[in-house]
Amino acid sequence: MIEAAGLVKHFRSADGTVVKAVDGVSFVVGRGEMVGLLGANGVGKTTTMRLLATLLQPTAGTARIDGCDVTTDPLGVRRRLGYLSATTGVPDRLTPREVLQSFGRLHGFDQAALAGRVPALLDALGLGDCAERPCGRLSTGQRQRVSLGRALVHDPPALVLDEPTSGLDVVGSRDLLDLLERLRWEGRSILISTHRLHEIERRCDRFLIIHAGRIVAAGTREEMIAAPGGLEGAFFAAVEPGAHP
Amino acid sequence: MTAMDPTPRGQVVRAIAHRDLLEFVRDRRTLFVTLLMPMAMYPVLALASTLGLRTALSDLEARQAPRALAIALSGADAERLATRLEQVAAMVADELPADWPARLTTELVPSRAAQRLLDDGMADVWIDAPAGTAAALDGPGTVPLEARVSAVRPLDARRQRHLLEVVRALAEDARRRRIEAEGLPASVLEPVALTFAGGSPMDGAASMEGILPTAAGGVLVLLALLTATGAFYPAIDALAGEKERGTIETLLLAPATAGEIVTGKFLAIWGVTLATLLVNAASIGLTGLVLLRFLPAGVDLGTDAARLSTAAIVTLLGYIGLAAVAAATCLAVTSGARSGKEAQNTLTPVILLVSGLAGSALLPGAGGEALAAVPFAGQVALARSALSGTAVPTLALQLAISLAAAAAATWLLLRGAAAALTDEELLFRGPDVAGSLFARPAPRSRPTPMQGFAAALVAFAGLWYAQGIAPADLGLAVPIQQAALVLPLIAVALWQRVDPATTFGLTAPGGRRWPLAALGGLLAGAGLFILGAAATLAVRGTHLSPAARDLAARIMELLLDRPWWLSGLLIAVVPAICEELFFRGWVLAAFAGERPGWRRALAAVFLQAAAFAAFHLLPERMPQTFLLGAVLGWMTLATGSLVPAVIGHLAHNAVPLVLVALATEGHGRRLAAGDTTTLPGWLLPAAAVAVVAGLALVHAARMKAPLREQGG
Repeated sequence: MIEAAGLVKHFRSADGTVVKAVDGVSFVVGRGEMVGLLGANGVGKTTTMRLLATLLQPTAGTARIDGCDVTTDPLGVRRRLGYLSATTGVPDRLTPREVLQSFGRLHGFDQAALAGRVPALLDALGLGDCAERPCGRLSTGQRQRVSLGRALVHDPPALVLDEPTSGLDVVGSRDLLDLLERLRWEGRSILISTHRLHEIERRCDRFLIIHAGRIVAAGTREEMIAAPGGLEGAFFAAVEPGAHP
Repeated sequence: MTAMDPTPRGQVVRAIAHRDLLEFVRDRRTLFVTLLMPMAMYPVLALASTLGLRTALSDLEARQAPRALAIALSGADAERLATRLEQVAAMVADELPADWPARLTTELVPSRAAQRLLDDGMADVWIDAPAGTAAALDGPGTVPLEARVSAVRPLDARRQRHLLEVVRALAEDARRRRIEAEGLPASVLEPVALTFAGGSPMDGAASMEGILPTAAGGVLVLLALLTATGAFYPAIDALAGEKERGTIETLLLAPATAGEIVTGKFLAIWGVTLATLLVNAASIGLTGLVLLRFLPAGVDLGTDAARLSTAAIVTLLGYIGLAAVAAATCLAVTSGARSGKEAQNTLTPVILLVSGLAGSALLPGAGGEALAAVPFAGQVALARSALSGTAVPTLALQLAISLAAAAAATWLLLRGAAAALTDEELLFRGPDVAGSLFARPAPRSRPTPMQGFAAALVAFAGLWYAQGIAPADLGLAVPIQQAALVLPLIAVALWQRVDPATTFGLTAPGGRRWPLAALGGLLAGAGLFILGAAATLAVRGTHLSPAARDLAARIMELLLDRPWWLSGLLIAVVPAICEELFFRGWVLAAFAGERPGWRRALAAVFLQAAAFAAFHLLPERMPQTFLLGAVLGWMTLATGSLVPAVIGHLAHNAVPLVLVALATEGHGRRLAAGDTTTLPGWLLPAAAVAVVAGLALVHAARMKAPLREQGG
């Protein structure tokens, strides 16, 4: 389960002024639930997700991943969370197999456990054929799948995915989202953000719309799709009240 | 165990080290710098230097082709003098190197043709021998001989030496003839005969005894630099490269603390650095063996195999510590960079740091246990010490100090790197562009730590250059130096819109208790001067460097030759105001930040005091100025005001004025110039009491809560 309660994050900009990137965000993503976090660029999506992943420290409020608090037990959070963003890279000079083995060891798996888990994960991600090729020579889609494998190697109950389909072609996006759906059916909590609303409008259970650091609208898939203009209409109605999609 | 259980610390560190090592060894640049470059460089350097030497020698040989000394003689006695010269020429053969022709040729020419012979190179010198010259040689007087040389074809050193030897032989022959003419025995010319017993001194063959540690110094500095270079690419790759590739996030998402991540990365970089060290050391050893084969026969290395083995082991062990500090330094300085390019830029000062520190070990008199504790310098000094045959117990002590200091420095640097690793600003801020440096920020209470560091660096450089252009007269030099320190600072403070009251502590200390703080500063400053001077006298006596003596003499000149108010202004008032505004104002405010925890306060006081000490340039003055800087820094943080520090600095600098005014002129001169070690017996206890009382008064007037309760 992913829980955020009154999350606040302030930054100090170069000219000394304080920027409120996240301003009191609260939500819950239950087990086996996939929730879409929607918002324009620079409204606090990535900051919120980084707070959940313990990459940033909240100025106020808190968040819990599977019961572990991001402030008081960051290592516990990292053991329970798989995080992926459009900017998370893979080491160019390591092979997909080495990447997964390396992160498996970091999560405490011994050689015997890795010998069973890594090949299975490579196969599940469709990386079996390129498992021994340096990541620097893989396509964008393959690299993103390696990243997803890295996020899944420790079998986390919660996933936070920040624009995971960015840079992928239509086929790559569909494959990745299909895989996420399978993970959701396995009982994981998934929070996903994307600018391609059509990709997720039929896959997510609920949607949160964030604007200027605040959750300005929330609803189930059915509620959002039922709005005039569908999900896109609901999005514009939330972030630009009065404007027509 | 499941993925939800904590991963053992050792496994985390090993996993990160293993992952990074795999990446490093697959990077061609790292392999080139680490392994290939050292293997090729030393042979190339040795070959180039040998070729260079040979070229220089060949050129010299060509210009000094073996040709007999040619003397043109003119005048009535030319023929007789030529005969005498040719007679003694054979006597000088033993005094000249074997491959020099000992022959000389003489040519009798009229005076008017002699100059042309010289200019055409047909003769090396021209000597005019008027009538009576030969007879005068056998008489009692001194015969003046003038050897004229060509202005267009100057006499080279080789033939000049030959001529001097010939003339010396001519004089000796004349002396012998004069003695015989007087009927005296030949022993008259030899009142003392020295012989050596118990072994003869070495002959002309060169000895390397004592030369080896000096000659090896350059190689040791090069080894230090190249070992550090081995850490460069891995360090760039380890953090900045990961940030550039977006993989640092993945590590920070792993269940590992920042300390564990940094330790794992450090181990990988250290491993590569050690490989660089070993390859360099092997290359040096093998190149040395090759060069030994080119040494001329009979050259004695002046050392034995046992000493060389000990030196090699001690050097390698010491340099293992050096490699650790180099790896940690590179990791720490690149931890603030977000791209490979930025990291490369930040490593440039590391090259200067390593070169400067390692090179300082070659300075005359450098060495000992204290230097062993200084990273980069200590290892070079240790290796030289081992090569010069220092006893093994002393070497072992120096090695232990060197390794302990390297471990401590490494630990501190890794702590810094770990702090930078999780710094949100460094992780996620936008690119650093020069434009932001010149952009005018919003008003702020105090400068940033980087601005404090930059100011200290610029001030140090400014002072250094001012040494070159400021006049020797302190009456002019002091205002120039102080203006150079404080005027740019005021301009930058205005431009950066820092709050002058906060940054420069322009408030009354302790509210209504300000007289206490002012008195405390006065007592502590004056007492510290006396204690510092006494400590310097006790440690160094009157053995001051020429630069320190020169400064003391110039200060005394100022004190005695100028009106008292001008001396006071230049020595006490102006430095107290300008240096306090700079060090306890800008630099301390920048490093301490707003309401610092005690750890940061301590670090800020230490750093600004170190900058203040370095600013005084003379090593003799640094301990005293560091202590003064630390005390004044504490006063400023405690009271939130610069006033006690200014008064304390003023009192500190004014003590020599008072001493000179009180003492007789002669005694005062000797005292302040360090020519006497006598201080009145009551002075030291009084100074100690003054310092303690001063600190107590400032403590009583301190702000209620200047520091945060917990560290930060």
